[in-house]
Amino acid sequence: MKFRYTLEALAVIAILAFSVIFLYTSSTMSGAEFAGSDNVGSGLIADLSGIPLENFKPLIPQWEPPSGEIESCLFALQAAVGGVLVGGVFGFWIGSQKKA
Amino acid sequence: MHIMEGFLPLQWCIVWWIIALPCLMIGLYQLKKILAADREALPLLGVTGGFIFILSSLKLPSVTGSCSHPTGTGLSTISFGPWITSVVCAIVLLFQALFLAHGGLSVLGANIVSMGIVGPVVGYAVYRMLRDTSVNIYLTVFLVTALADMFTYVTTSLELALAYPAETGGFFSSFILFMGIFSVTQLPLAIVEGIVLALVFKYIVALKPDILIRLKIFSEEKINAARVDTS
Repeated sequence: MKFRYTLEALAVIAILAFSVIFLYTSSTMSGAEFAGSDNVGSGLIADLSGIPLENFKPLIPQWEPPSGEIESCLFALQAAVGGVLVGGVFGFWIGSQKKA
Repeated sequence: MHIMEGFLPLQWCIVWWIIALPCLMIGLYQLKKILAADREALPLLGVTGGFIFILSSLKLPSVTGSCSHPTGTGLSTISFGPWITSVVCAIVLLFQALFLAHGGLSVLGANIVSMGIVGPVVGYAVYRMLRDTSVNIYLTVFLVTALADMFTYVTTSLELALAYPAETGGFFSSFILFMGIFSVTQLPLAIVEGIVLALVFKYIVALKPDILIRLKIFSEEKINAARVDTS
């Protein structure tokens, strides 16, 4: 059976459904902060251990981005490295195919 | 899935590092061997690794009212196996530990075990089960990707439950609580990630079928059938 654009259609539907679910959740769920699950998990660790969150200190000293903006910048940099790799290779493959 | 620096007792940090290190060494050895045998594997490694960089940087909102990120390990797992995937994940996790304060050096072993080892090992087991059957290539990629993602978060829950068993109910009760935070949040993300990476694999099949056949990722018949189905 041929399904030329089935995967593209499925990807669009999945992303749209995901977005709609997010909009519905954010408008109906009271108290939803959309914090990182890592932070929520850290809160549960504090509850289970009985140790206040602020008492957890790094075992190895760690540099922290000085602001949320710098953190966003570094996350974007990480995504950009991936984007360059993916785009570069796909471009190389398409170029080689055309050349051949 | 990041366990934050200082949130895992020292003895557990050591345990997870002891598990992670041999896997990384096997991964480095396999990487050297594959690249020496076929330099054309390098661009494929770039693409599959690139998706780990991209997807693990995306923090997406989920149905639980908190955010999480996909792992992107499925393509690398299928193409190069779990050990090489663990090396790529270690690079990403090291970047995040050093520059983003996500994770940390003491907990890096635990984070490598969840994202770079257990998730990909589960995904790889599914791939090996389905590779030589009549199951469609893209369905295989979807299942491998989604399950590698989900089991990363199941492993994080396990690591934390072992370190912090609940006063009543012990390890099991704690594991359920962590699963409630990590795995339920992750489920919709894993499904979307599976579909998106299956689509990406379609383009790899279309552009570079020869490398997939040469690396014996799928048989020539399956690759050709997938190309006919989607062209």
